[in-house]
Amino acid sequence: MKRPLANTLAYALFAAAVAATGFGLKNPYYFQVLTFIGINTLLAVSLNLLTGYAGQISLGHAAFFGIGAYASGIFSTHFGISPWLSGPAALVLAGIVAYLVGLPTLKLTGYYLAMGTLGFGMIVSVILNNWSAVTGGSSGLYGIKGLTILGVNLSQGRNGFFLIWLLVIATFFLCGRLVDSRVGRALRAIHYSEQAARSVGVDTAGVKLSVFVLSAVIAALAGVFFAHSVGFISPGSFNFLMSVRLVAMVVIGGMASIWGALLGASLLTILPELLQAVAEYEMATYGLILILVMIFFPEGLVMGIRSAYEHARNVGKRAHPEP
Amino acid sequence: MNTHETSENGPILSLEKVSKAFGGVQAVRDVSFAVERGRIHAVIGPNGAGKTTLFNLVTGVYTPDAGRIVFKGRPIAGVPVHALVALGMGRTFQNVELFSGMSVLENVLVGRHCRTKAGFWGAVLKPASVRDEEGSARSFALSMLDFVGMAHAAERRAGDLPFGWQRMCEIARALAGEPELLLLDEPAAGLNASETRELASLILKIRDLGVTVLLVEHDMSLTMEISDRIAVLDQGALLAIGAPREIQADQRVIAAYLGA
Ligand SMILES: Nc1ncnc2c1ncn2[C@@H]1O[C@H](COP(=O)(O)OP(=O)(O)O)[C@@H](O)[C@H]1O
Ligand SMILES: [Mg+2]
Repeated sequence: MKRPLANTLAYALFAAAVAATGFGLKNPYYFQVLTFIGINTLLAVSLNLLTGYAGQISLGHAAFFGIGAYASGIFSTHFGISPWLSGPAALVLAGIVAYLVGLPTLKLTGYYLAMGTLGFGMIVSVILNNWSAVTGGSSGLYGIKGLTILGVNLSQGRNGFFLIWLLVIATFFLCGRLVDSRVGRALRAIHYSEQAARSVGVDTAGVKLSVFVLSAVIAALAGVFFAHSVGFISPGSFNFLMSVRLVAMVVIGGMASIWGALLGASLLTILPELLQAVAEYEMATYGLILILVMIFFPEGLVMGIRSAYEHARNVGKRAHPEP
Repeated sequence: MNTHETSENGPILSLEKVSKAFGGVQAVRDVSFAVERGRIHAVIGPNGAGKTTLFNLVTGVYTPDAGRIVFKGRPIAGVPVHALVALGMGRTFQNVELFSGMSVLENVLVGRHCRTKAGFWGAVLKPASVRDEEGSARSFALSMLDFVGMAHAAERRAGDLPFGWQRMCEIARALAGEPELLLLDEPAAGLNASETRELASLILKIRDLGVTVLLVEHDMSLTMEISDRIAVLDQGALLAIGAPREIQADQRVIAAYLGA
């Protein structure tokens, strides 16, 4: 069950890969794509905590990404606050909003959270589009400052790449520790049987609410970085399609797996870049990919590939049948 | 493991005129009885008699339409299910409800949830106090698995175990919360004869720890053998209550249940 050494090794390899890529690459386009993959990975990991581990479906996760981006963007451009302060303020705001959205919906079991977050995502979309005086409306918010220290911009190019992947690694570490703890076990237990979890003493409503807030704050963190990295945000990045894209990343990569979130986020960031032609049918493409993955790899690609590999290995070495 | 309160002489659990209906079905009708500490109490009755409903009322899953349930001198009305566990109530399910994708040990550790404290920051920062707590929770969980004879399966995926083993693990999970009252819903259902014998001796061992056992059974043989006191439920109502010998001799019980 527990493989601390393998885990440490995986983290070390991952960090080494990030460092090698960061120092090795020259092409700014690649940095940009890899930075987007980092942002999406952060989002996928945050949703995975909620959906993959705790089994709670959110169809409005992009809204928290949007709250992080817009709150920090608005605070820093309209009020001239330093991004180093507007960012944390945006995280707090996202946490409070998640608490208020989660409180009524998470007391109930079943699909109330999915429906509640779906509605919530729509409301946020409407606000971003229509409260033009503050959000810039459908044309978006321009001129968001970068994250700078002593004049060095940390949110773009190579620096941006390092900063976002540092955040990803830190989040991986945090989630890894959380999942393998008292709270994490309670989370996973809720996924398998909420009724049984409650009957053995887990305050299921409380645990679900905490993980929902945590998940929202991590998504908002991705939003804060996104806003200050790109400098321009518009409602299209935080709409229902984005929420569906995030669910697809989690399902495709594999539920309850941080590496799966990385894979899912990478695939769904790169594919649209490659398949510009099908952009019009993006929603349909995700639907199709989701159906295929659900049919052929119900546990996601990471687990699917692992089982296929183990199966092949067993077939290969099975000289005599099992007793 | 159990803090047996000798000072408290009253019943650990009492039901006072408890009723519960689902639509037109009166699942539990005006049921009153008390459960004495340190004993094995059984509730028997044919399928559909209302036994599981009674369990769900006692464990706070359902709220009675009428009547009162008192646990350790405290009315349970309004107390959430998980808080009742913290007060000392443990249960198993008629159709075993393990966390199938988790290891057996992790299942039992979740049963330890209410006796441990580590929160979010504890999980992330893992200070010495949290590591100690985790260590002792693990050894307690393992000792419970050992107690039910399942220590050898600790690292197995719970959903992969044979049914009889799953039932034992579920009992270990409930024991990990250090219950004073353990409720077992048809623990012999789905077990073969030898597993049922092991279960009988396990229930006696649990009683010997000082844990009060309330068990619901469909089948009479196990209950007659190990129970100190038996309540018979028929169509939601309490038909008779007494020692096994008295129940076996009760004409109404024979007519309504044994004779059938
Ligand atoms: N959640 C429920 N909704 C509707 N009817 C129920 C529900 N639970 C139990 N019942 C009904 O109540 C009666 C008692 O059921 P139950 O308590 O499960 O009996 P037992 O456990 O003794 O077999 C049955 O007629 C059953 O159909
Ligand atoms: Mg039943």
